[in-house]
Amino acid sequence: MNFGRDELTKYGLVAALAIATALPFLSDNMFLLNLLVLMLISIIFASAWNLLAFTGQGSLGHAAFFGIGAYASTLIAVRSGISPFVTIFLGAAVAAFIGILIGLTCVRLKEWFLAMVTFGFAIIVQTLTVSVLAPVTGGWDGIASPRLVSPSIPGYQFIEYYVVLAITITSLVVIWYIMKSRIGLAFLAIRENELEARAAGVDPIRYRLLAFAMSAYLAGIAGALQIYHIGYLTPDLYGVNNSFWPVTYVILGGLGTIAGPVIGTIVLTVIWEGLKETGLTFGRYVIVGFILILTIIFLPKGLVNLPERVQTWWKERGMEGSGARPQRSIWKFF
Amino acid sequence: MDNLGIFLQILFWGLYAGCIYILLATGLNLIFGVMKIVNFAHGEFLMIGAYITATVFFLTGINPYLIILLSMLALIGIGAVVERLCFRPILGTGKLNEIFLSIGLIYIFQNGAAMIWGDSWQSVKSPYDGITVPVGSLSIPLDYLIIVALTAAILIALYLFLKKTKTGREMRATSQNRKGAMLVGIDVERIDVISFGLGCALAAAAGTLWVVSGQVFNPYIGSMPAVKAFTIIILGGLGSIPGAIIGGLLMGVAENGAAFLLGGIWKDAVSFIILIVVLIIRPTGLFGEKGD
Repeated sequence: MNFGRDELTKYGLVAALAIATALPFLSDNMFLLNLLVLMLISIIFASAWNLLAFTGQGSLGHAAFFGIGAYASTLIAVRSGISPFVTIFLGAAVAAFIGILIGLTCVRLKEWFLAMVTFGFAIIVQTLTVSVLAPVTGGWDGIASPRLVSPSIPGYQFIEYYVVLAITITSLVVIWYIMKSRIGLAFLAIRENELEARAAGVDPIRYRLLAFAMSAYLAGIAGALQIYHIGYLTPDLYGVNNSFWPVTYVILGGLGTIAGPVIGTIVLTVIWEGLKETGLTFGRYVIVGFILILTIIFLPKGLVNLPERVQTWWKERGMEGSGARPQRSIWKFF
Repeated sequence: MDNLGIFLQILFWGLYAGCIYILLATGLNLIFGVMKIVNFAHGEFLMIGAYITATVFFLTGINPYLIILLSMLALIGIGAVVERLCFRPILGTGKLNEIFLSIGLIYIFQNGAAMIWGDSWQSVKSPYDGITVPVGSLSIPLDYLIIVALTAAILIALYLFLKKTKTGREMRATSQNRKGAMLVGIDVERIDVISFGLGCALAAAAGTLWVVSGQVFNPYIGSMPAVKAFTIIILGGLGSIPGAIIGGLLMGVAENGAAFLLGGIWKDAVSFIILIVVLIIRPTGLFGEKGD
């Protein structure tokens, strides 16, 4: 048996799709199905964040777009009576529009200036939601939203699962396609070396803005889906936690890869739910923090990179003692 | 109350709130100046300092203003460990990694504190509670005066440390030119640990002042002041300690003015609005260096 890397990826994809399609039939546990839906939504959200990270922009305020997508689609659905299936995309368009506005202030900023401003925008949006916009948004109390599939339909959870699954797969395919296209190449060029990208005729500002819009759109879809799944929304959606989760998922899985957000979300969700069984409350977050820090230090390219790392380690195992690699002093404290 | 009275009240509230921001921002500036790293989890050291102060006070009942020394010492230790185990391995691997790492630290510290002390709101009563000093037409709580004086004392001590001692000179040298400092025989990694520890100690002092001023606290108080401290150093200039002091005072006043004029809910948002407006006009900050 000797598979090439591409073939392995292909078979892996087919297997993942088959598992994702078959999962609801393997267990009639509704709790599990609910968890799977939330996990798929997190995958969309993490992928949205990752799309922005493709251009080298790390946002700490993606909860803003998530929340705007949720609020906008709910309000449109409630006020106009349009089906939630349509308003998901309308709400996301509002998020993308605001994403462009926020992006206009951010695209010239780098690294932690950008992190600060995006973080700040999430707080400003939350403040607006509970103060000026309170008559529409219901303030801190929030409002009820329609469900994606009415609970009166038998087996509505299954329908919902497959709808969310279809949207997730579509989003991933679209991201894959974008990254393969000229736009994706421009993103990478900007991330690697902005000056050279500009010399090659790529306008960094325009592409960063585009990344902002697309990322906000996807995050808005994720937000709308989550709210239509839960059926209620509050300004807690804009909370710091909601901004940090996608970062954690992506870092664990592998920054700047398409599979990274998917793998990171699945692994972390399994760990998170597994830890729930042990009865930990705050301890779960502490463990997530340790996982995040250990990943950054010891596996900077994420879980996606793990097979390669194991392979290198396997190859180098035989060459020990050749003295080729300098020893790092791990134990020297000061 | 007349308008002037309200204005003075806001000014004084701002001065007092500014003290906490000044200590945080100065600590961040110290760390940024020497190591060029950005630690978004800096506010968690404030929170730990607050809890250490409260715990020691509840256990022994000694004057909480004296506990400031203990909480600063404790945080020097915690800061050194965090620097050594978390930041040193990723030094020079990119700014984004530092931001993501601090998210991990935020998770650990906030929820670790919640595991130890619980996540409910607590508060401490200062021994000078209720004593006021008449200043002109205002009567100012004695606690606020002590806090302003203590902040000034800490800043003067820091200034003397940086100017007069050998370690202080080494820190300044490292912040000016890391490679140059290495060449003249300064152990920059030791300086990193000391700067990080000192920065954390300043945050701990801010935490103690937070507690003794009678403000409520829980494990999640740290994030907002830390982000505001970042705003201050963006406005006041990276690595500039006078900038941090002026920026801190302005931030305190602006915030309390906004809370008075627009309502308390705007207190947090207003600092970001200032930040965004400034960054739109000058993407490198008010006094920031050109380019990166």
